[in-house]
Amino acid sequence: MKNTRRDIFKFAGGAAAGALLTPVPWRLIKDSSLWSENWPGIPRPARGEIRTKTTNCALCPAGCPVRARCVGDQPVSLAGAGCAFGVAAHHLPYHPARLRKGPVAEAKAALAKRSPADPIAILDLNPGRTASWTFRRAMGALKGTYIAPETNPVAYDLHAVRTVLSVGTPLLEAWGTPANVIAAREKFYLIHAGVVETRTAMLADQWIRAEGLPDPLPVALRENGPSVVIGDAPEIPELNRSLGAPVYARPEAPVPESWKKQAAPVTDLAVVPDRSVRFLLIDESSAATYVPWHRIEPKLAGDAVVITFAVARGGYARHATYALPAPVFPETTEDIPAAIDQTSEVFRLAAPLVAPPAEVVSAAEFASVLADVPAAGALRERADAIHKLSPGNFAAADDFWKALLEGYVWRGAPAGPFSHAGSPAPVPRAPRELALTAAGAAWTPALLSPLMTKLYEESNLRLPPNAVALNPRDAAGLPQRAVLQTLLGKCAVRVVADPAVPPGTVLTGSSPGIRDICSPGDGAKVVAA
Amino acid sequence: MKLRGTILFLAGALAALGAGWLGFPRVIYRTQAQPVDFSHKIHADKAGSKCEDCHALRADGSFAGTPTLDKCSGCHAAAMGDSAAEKQFIEKYVTPQREPAWLVYARQPENVYFSHAVHVKRANLKCERCHGDQGAAAAPRAHVEDRISGYSRDLLSMDACIACHSEQHKQNSCLDCHK
Repeated sequence: MKNTRRDIFKFAGGAAAGALLTPVPWRLIKDSSLWSENWPGIPRPARGEIRTKTTNCALCPAGCPVRARCVGDQPVSLAGAGCAFGVAAHHLPYHPARLRKGPVAEAKAALAKRSPADPIAILDLNPGRTASWTFRRAMGALKGTYIAPETNPVAYDLHAVRTVLSVGTPLLEAWGTPANVIAAREKFYLIHAGVVETRTAMLADQWIRAEGLPDPLPVALRENGPSVVIGDAPEIPELNRSLGAPVYARPEAPVPESWKKQAAPVTDLAVVPDRSVRFLLIDESSAATYVPWHRIEPKLAGDAVVITFAVARGGYARHATYALPAPVFPETTEDIPAAIDQTSEVFRLAAPLVAPPAEVVSAAEFASVLADVPAAGALRERADAIHKLSPGNFAAADDFWKALLEGYVWRGAPAGPFSHAGSPAPVPRAPRELALTAAGAAWTPALLSPLMTKLYEESNLRLPPNAVALNPRDAAGLPQRAVLQTLLGKCAVRVVADPAVPPGTVLTGSSPGIRDICSPGDGAKVVAA
Repeated sequence: MKLRGTILFLAGALAALGAGWLGFPRVIYRTQAQPVDFSHKIHADKAGSKCEDCHALRADGSFAGTPTLDKCSGCHAAAMGDSAAEKQFIEKYVTPQREPAWLVYARQPENVYFSHAVHVKRANLKCERCHGDQGAAAAPRAHVEDRISGYSRDLLSMDACIACHSEQHKQNSCLDCHK
């Protein structure tokens, strides 16, 4: 009997059906997925002795204490950090978006051509550090300008109040020091004002669904004092003054007297004359905040050279002439400035757990070399000065330094009174000519480990940085990929439909691209890409 | 004609079943013998050894895993019996002070954090619960490795971990093991 093509198909069909009843397809699928977990480039912790190192997290001013479990010298897990960023901070040195190389020699060459009369400035996005003092000393020596996002930062004592009015802040999500806020939470009555149904809104004792400062003000503010109002609205400093709220000037750990004499004053970006900066250095490597580019760009001269020290090519690197790779936590020894809810001087260090790539350059070292200001041992010098003032339980300065490197937190004098007169002027907002009103999600400056995205972004614990959330009614008909438009520009975004966002509002993620064009309260619209 | 078609279909299915169940495992798995013909049974019966005598927890609670040559040399610096396996072990490893390259059946991937101390000391789990009755084995099983994934065939799967945790009403979050 002759075999036909039909016979072959019948045999093959039977073989295919039979194969489904064998381990072949299922084992191959499973093995392929396991094999893909072991691609080159994925760091492999060495097998070896298990050690524990203690330090502090430097990803934000909260400075949570961290216990690192290390195999050999390689950290494999961090415990103690209070957020998804901190828990996975040991992944950051291996982040795929990490800048590892950059035009360091070219940047130095450009600066070498600078004449002494050329105006130079440094924008420090995490002021209050020892590195910040190095910047100020460098600018003092070069007769340049040291710019900080806030010239008069405040600190709130949540333990001293019975009522808190949060005006659109992420008080219970990403505001101050998590442990401190949670410890104080039981003692105060929380009123939250905001349009979006955030976690803070859900956990507040009273939620007022309104944008900005509520009108009239809740009576509890006056009747259940002491009270404090927190938020960015320009009326808040004056309101706190009238309430007698426990608001203080943000304390800063002592520094050597010689530094103060050399240091340039802290300047608000708003008072820097337009088109006046010829060379601008930006330290965004451990940014605690983000200044939209549309506020920086007018200050630059036409042929300005912008040098940014960045961990990844997402922030100012998009606009900079030179983007230089900077070390990221936990690669370097750095101190952590006081958080918004810390009302006494504090000095703590983040010690390195891994070695940085060979070509990264620290902004402080770069500035100190540029201005010929000795800063190599600045952290140790400051620690010695603090120890001299307040030795505490440490007889020797070496012991104090060693303890700092192991996570010890030094606490000093309580904060001084806050001068309300020095509050920064409110930033003018674009008129609302667009249909939607923007509301900002909690700002998180750190890179998020890609391995945490399942837990953090894909599980909708947080709005992804490059996304906007709209009420399902407003999101109807929009594709997942869309464009956010404001009077300042456009930005490609991912659209998330979320009933927690009221109609007419767009909740924006915190990516630098979105923050460059959109601030809370601005008019905006979302259109198909 | 219809019968012929059915026969061909069944023949194809049978051929695939045979290849899948008998041939495929030989292709996908690589079998390697342990470097030493070690008998858990002899050590348990004659020396009265318990699991933790060799597979101990360190003072800091971490698990030492497979014992190093020092531990073996403590008893086998010279031959204690007349077996060929012991003689070969001394000649190949103890005398030249060369660590045997033991193949670990249950070695977890790098992305798994597992604490023996928690499971053995706090949960009072017996070693056999996860590792089977290794203590009764007269000769070491061959180590079977998946050629694609590189994992041991005897690796305890995540499903088994989750099943036990669910049964015991213990925590089951991703970060418990994938830290």
